Amino acid sequence: MGGTMISRGGREASRMAKGLAFIAPNIAGFLVFTLFPLVFSFAMAFTNWDIQRHNMYNNEALRFVGLENLVRLFGDPDFFKYLGNTFFLMMGMPFGIAGSLGAALLLSRDLSAGGRRVWAYVLLCVSLTVGIGALIAAGAGATAMTILVCGVAGAILVTGSLGGKTVYRTLFYFPHFTAGVATFLLWKKLYNPHTGPFNNALRPLLESFGGAVNALPAGLVRSGAWACAALAAALALIGARNLRRAWLDGEMGTVSVSIGTSLLCVPAVLAVPWAPDAVVRLIIPAAALAAAALIVRTLAARREFACALDEELGHAVISCGGIMTAQLALLGLGIVLFRLPEMSAAGLAPPEWLTQYHWSKPSLMIMGLWAAVGSNSMLLYLAGISNIPPELYEAADVDGASPLQRFLHITWPQLAPITFFILIMAIIHGLQGGFEMARTMTQGGPAGATTTLSYYVYTEGFETGRLGYASAVAWALFALVFTVTVFNWKFGNRYVND
Amino acid sequence: MKYLFLITAAALAAFGAALYLTEPQARSEVPVIYWVIDPAPARPEQIALYHRWLIKHGHGEKYDITTMAELDVFRRKKWTPAVRDAIEKGNPDGPKVWDARTNAADLPLSVTAPGAEMRVDASSNDLSKKLIQGVSGVAGDVLEAYNGGQQMQYFAAAGMLADVTESAKKYGFEPEKTYEALRPALFFEGRQYAFPRNPAQTMYWVNKATFEKHQQPLPPSRWTIEEFEKRGREFVKAANPPGARRRVFFADRAFVVELRRGLGLSMFNETLTRCTLDDPRNARVMRLIHQWTYQDRILPSAADMAAFDTEGGWGGKSFQLFKNGQFAMFASGRWALMLFRKFGEMQLAVAEPPHTGMPNTILSGGQSTVFRGSRHRKYAELFLAYMADEDYNMQIVRDGDALPPNPKYTDSELFRRPPDHPNEWGCHEPWAKAAHEIGTVASFSPFVLPVVAARYDGVSQQEVMNDRATAEEAGKTAADRINGEIRRTLAESAELRKRYAELTGLQEKIDAYRAEGRKVPLDWIRNPFHRRWYLEKGWVAQ
Repeated sequence: MGGTMISRGGREASRMAKGLAFIAPNIAGFLVFTLFPLVFSFAMAFTNWDIQRHNMYNNEALRFVGLENLVRLFGDPDFFKYLGNTFFLMMGMPFGIAGSLGAALLLSRDLSAGGRRVWAYVLLCVSLTVGIGALIAAGAGATAMTILVCGVAGAILVTGSLGGKTVYRTLFYFPHFTAGVATFLLWKKLYNPHTGPFNNALRPLLESFGGAVNALPAGLVRSGAWACAALAAALALIGARNLRRAWLDGEMGTVSVSIGTSLLCVPAVLAVPWAPDAVVRLIIPAAALAAAALIVRTLAARREFACALDEELGHAVISCGGIMTAQLALLGLGIVLFRLPEMSAAGLAPPEWLTQYHWSKPSLMIMGLWAAVGSNSMLLYLAGISNIPPELYEAADVDGASPLQRFLHITWPQLAPITFFILIMAIIHGLQGGFEMARTMTQGGPAGATTTLSYYVYTEGFETGRLGYASAVAWALFALVFTVTVFNWKFGNRYVND
Repeated sequence: MKYLFLITAAALAAFGAALYLTEPQARSEVPVIYWVIDPAPARPEQIALYHRWLIKHGHGEKYDITTMAELDVFRRKKWTPAVRDAIEKGNPDGPKVWDARTNAADLPLSVTAPGAEMRVDASSNDLSKKLIQGVSGVAGDVLEAYNGGQQMQYFAAAGMLADVTESAKKYGFEPEKTYEALRPALFFEGRQYAFPRNPAQTMYWVNKATFEKHQQPLPPSRWTIEEFEKRGREFVKAANPPGARRRVFFADRAFVVELRRGLGLSMFNETLTRCTLDDPRNARVMRLIHQWTYQDRILPSAADMAAFDTEGGWGGKSFQLFKNGQFAMFASGRWALMLFRKFGEMQLAVAEPPHTGMPNTILSGGQSTVFRGSRHRKYAELFLAYMADEDYNMQIVRDGDALPPNPKYTDSELFRRPPDHPNEWGCHEPWAKAAHEIGTVASFSPFVLPVVAARYDGVSQQEVMNDRATAEEAGKTAADRINGEIRRTLAESAELRKRYAELTGLQEKIDAYRAEGRKVPLDWIRNPFHRRWYLEKGWVAQ
């Protein structure tokens, strides 16, 4: 008996040793290359570590400075500028997620060839070929890029009809596994201000559009700003009405309604300094005031059905956040419409993309969106869609649901956990990202327009040599990422569960 | 599973050993030193000459071969192709050592092998890499410091460079061997840390064919900004069809620092204790460049530069654009000849930067420094000695890689009239003349990192060019930031604070003297530009 126990114990120890031996390299790597640098950089964030003064040749004593680096960080105007750049670049995130979802939905459909569909594709290819020939013969649009794009489109349709979903999925995923720097260089060519395909396509369109705008009375065009403002105001009131109804029905708590209302009022605050004229400056804030007054009056009254104060908080944030985004987009559109007559009079020209201060960040966002659509998010969504029970769709069909209703009431809720995960990862990636693009394409310029926090950490650490300060910036970034992630986890999770 | 693990580990070890054993270049009979520099076409020849120079000056091991057995042993040593080449070409008996027909009748033979073999490490040529490798103790032996002292100051402050003051006297590369105006850039806190590799200044190369094509007169070698502007407008008008996109420009860029200096303004004051970019003269220069770019369109904007598709490899795309006639003038140094010569016989001339009062150029170029942690420091220092000597200087003269570090080699017919390039006759003297007469080194303050000051200056220029700020606002912001960095540096170092206090006291005296119209002693002035400016203006007390 004792011998058996000893033997068993010995075998157990032997197995443990073997297991540890196998994972030892990984553990050692983690300790040396991950854990130690983390702890070390955290410690250095509270010192005056400078590569010039603290190295193997200059042995100046390292000084503990406490929170001095953080105080300097928050007093540095560049930090807030670069933080703003980082947040700006993250604004494309919802569109990327939506694009991934759209791509996944598209690729989940049966795209394989069969019968009439094959002939439809072949007919389309033939039409494309004939069309290109006609364009060339007419001397119009016969640029190499036009032919190339049409040819590629035709090739995709033909191969898709033969290869089905697999071909399309590979094509969609292609941007993700293309090497980063090569992609950036390609996009630099695409963004070429005078000879790039984007501007070659935009130039004639903008010229025609500018001509059309010049032909219209300026007042008519400018009144589009008022129409946009009215629409934004209507959205605010609709949002307030929905909040009121949900509160009265006991579906939403008071805190949730209050937060939702605050989000609806954000465009009003921004409209005051940004609005192009007094009418817009009046409409949006007035609607926000009316919405807020309605909510306050509603909350002051009694309701029949009670619920927790933060009931449906996630839903309030998502829906009112979406309305807020739409209002801001309408405000922006209104500003453009208001200024359009004078811009058209001077001639509408395509932007200079990476070399222009105001367009450099949107340029990087567009590129990021292209990469994000066919990324791992699309794969996650594909997996999620394939796991949705088909009985739910059958039941919806029986009830006569439209495709939009099927999406809103079945697909979207079923994919909520995946969306939540993708959102978390996208936020983390977005706050930490922007370094590769800045380093390869713009070197953080022009005039610091594309410098993100991660690039700032690099320049402070490795170009200036202030590693202690750079560590403090890096940990401040970590704190931001952590806070946002915790917030998302707490409230987003509830929304998913709801 | 454990067998799989063990087999994999064994296989990896075997592959590693095989790689090492089959990579002959990794092993050398002589110590290998690394030169961290860009991979310009001239490097192989410069290195080959260095190996032969070592042999010529007795810095190597001598082999007296008296028997065929000894010859065989000698041949079997681990000579790399570069060292073999040096032995063959650097010794009278060199060819016989490798010749299979050599027999006992040809013996004895005496050859010297170079004491070290030099190799280029271009992959570590990035500023951040050099810095990190340097302070970590793993940098190359000879580090190239660019921007005329800017990088050298940075590296020296980090303590990663070897003080070569005494070695310079011993091996013959003391500052007196180079241009007088360049000497301040070799020093950090009174000690020498560098020797110039290719002193350069940036002036305009002129493509005569482009001017001829558009029937415009060639620019003078020295001109004012008014002349530059007038000729520029006439040129672009003639070279670009009306209404069409501007494709041909007068020059590829303007000289910001030279324009400031022409007005008497430097980035720092006389004692290098304060940034002076908030001076109205800086705003005037920024407005001028903005006007030349966006109104007169004689210079390309950033979008115009981005729109040129050509990527030119080493040196950049502007060379191609200059050759093709997109730029009538191209701001570069004499080193551009290395690429121009590949384009064929271009008809060239040289023009100085247009001046705003005082003609001037920035004398800069690359400097070679010795890494403090080099295990073969003697040979790294000998490399600097080689750069002061005839072999290297004449290679620079022949190759056109900027100016020879030793100015006496510009006084030769080979420099003025290279026999293989008659199209360049008349183009070489202006470079040497400018270095002697109007060149001054850049100004670096010991109280702020040069790379930080340059970054804020660059951002301020971009803000003006992108209409994000007026020239005055941008200048003030840059000055505030740089002066803030000075305060930050001072907060960290008591020694620097002491020095700063002394210098600010001196600055007050200088300002007082200037206000009273009195002449100032030259040794009060630390800024090399202001030393020249004061001399030009006659404000210096004898």
